[in-house]
Amino acid sequence: MNLRKINAVTRLPGLRTCLPYSKAANAELPASMVNNEPEESYPNAVDRSGLLPQHKNVLLNTLPYEEPHSWIHLTEKYQRQAYGRYGAKSKVNPKICFDSAKDPREQVMQLDTLLKMLEKNRAQKAEEQQKIQDREDDIAKKMEKLQQWKADLHAKIAKREADSAAAIARKERLVEEVRRHFGFKVDTRDERFKEMLEQKEKEDKKKQKEAKRKAKEEKMMARLVEKTSS
Amino acid sequence: MAHLRETSDKALKLLRTLPRVQIGNLRPNPNSKQNDKRGRAQHGGDKHGAGNKGSGQRQNFMRLGYETGNQPFYLRFPYEPYYKGHHMKRQYPPISLLQLQVLIDTNRIDTSQPIDISTLCNSGLLKLKPAELEYGFQLTDDGLDNFKAKINIEVQHASEAVIAAIEKNGGVIRTAYYDPRSLHMLVNPKKWFQKGVPIPSRMLPPQDAVDYYTNPKNRGYLANPEEISQDRLVLAQKYGYELPKIEKDSAYEMLTTAKDPRQVFYGLEPGWLVNIVDKTITKRKD
Repeated sequence: MNLRKINAVTRLPGLRTCLPYSKAANAELPASMVNNEPEESYPNAVDRSGLLPQHKNVLLNTLPYEEPHSWIHLTEKYQRQAYGRYGAKSKVNPKICFDSAKDPREQVMQLDTLLKMLEKNRAQKAEEQQKIQDREDDIAKKMEKLQQWKADLHAKIAKREADSAAAIARKERLVEEVRRHFGFKVDTRDERFKEMLEQKEKEDKKKQKEAKRKAKEEKMMARLVEKTSS
Repeated sequence: MAHLRETSDKALKLLRTLPRVQIGNLRPNPNSKQNDKRGRAQHGGDKHGAGNKGSGQRQNFMRLGYETGNQPFYLRFPYEPYYKGHHMKRQYPPISLLQLQVLIDTNRIDTSQPIDISTLCNSGLLKLKPAELEYGFQLTDDGLDNFKAKINIEVQHASEAVIAAIEKNGGVIRTAYYDPRSLHMLVNPKKWFQKGVPIPSRMLPPQDAVDYYTNPKNRGYLANPEEISQDRLVLAQKYGYELPKIEKDSAYEMLTTAKDPRQVFYGLEPGWLVNIVDKTITKRKD
């Protein structure tokens, strides 16, 4: 299958035609058996195959049509094929097999195309990796704050519960005080009870305000002390 | 463990005393016999398994698949793309290393020449159908342990283990891409040369194949040769064999024969007009 390289259009030696008998052997055979002119032994040879001439030619590996019979035989494609199948026998100039319009130098290794493809692939992969990385970074950042968020949430819940508990406790205390004040069991929904409750609430509020004010003042003092000392 | 011993003792005792196992002694397989409950008499009759009143007894059931209002499962998916794009996917018919070894041992393949698609198809036992999107052969690892041939082979896909197996025996493996036209040329070169057209150049791989063929790990034909030689060493260390020195080999030249990325046949360049009847090569005079 490996044909050797040739620099110009040359002919390699064709296949050696195999002779049926050697010349030496021919001399030994009796004269009647020597096959000198085989064609003449059949003078009345008639082609009874019924084949059309072009088909016979094809069977004999020669060009089917010597003269063009149809427009098809004049097409480039047909003549190239004829050259391909029958070689020089096809009387076709191999020049027509080459496409003169196309410059073969265009078919040089397109390195830039390859590089572009590689670059596109690389960019796509990098983008995907970047997306994954961004998401992971985002999650990492959030994980750092997680403990803080947890603490905040617990504190909030605790505060809410504490506040509600404090409110209930305060209510109970006031009711108890009013009861003590009255000295006997009074119904909570009673008018007098309610009046007393309101009074007590007011006093309680005042007290709380006082306490808050004091706390604020103490804070301010502490800050001032810090400033003056530093 | 004591429990097991008790049961096995029990079983043996049973075996000793019970009659021989026969068809008449056997119980049918569980759930093989259905109990045909006739709609008559005490157990099959009366309400006939439909309960009391309600849509059940009145046989007014919801349609099959209805999920009481939400989108039912059988309507959630308008289509399933089972074979989407399958007609455009590249296929690589497999050749096992066992097959390859058998072909070599039975002299179907000549190992003194580089092996490519043409060689494999010319053996007459392997066929490639480029028209059915078969883009070449892949070497599989079946028979990898008994592979003992030193060859220079070019396929379209090979796994790491296969590459290791071939290089272990002092051979050379390469993966190369051939576009469909080049494949048609290789599968039946005679038919191609009868067209009387000069050899065209091979095309570059498509976008999704470029990464595979530029990777030295796959011994891609577009990869850096230095990286390939480095990877040969790495692979030898990974699979635990001594990397044979092909430079010292007598068949070094044959083993290192490689096609240019634009070349289709060994020894023939694109642009040459080859005639197999006259055995001539015609070239452009530039």
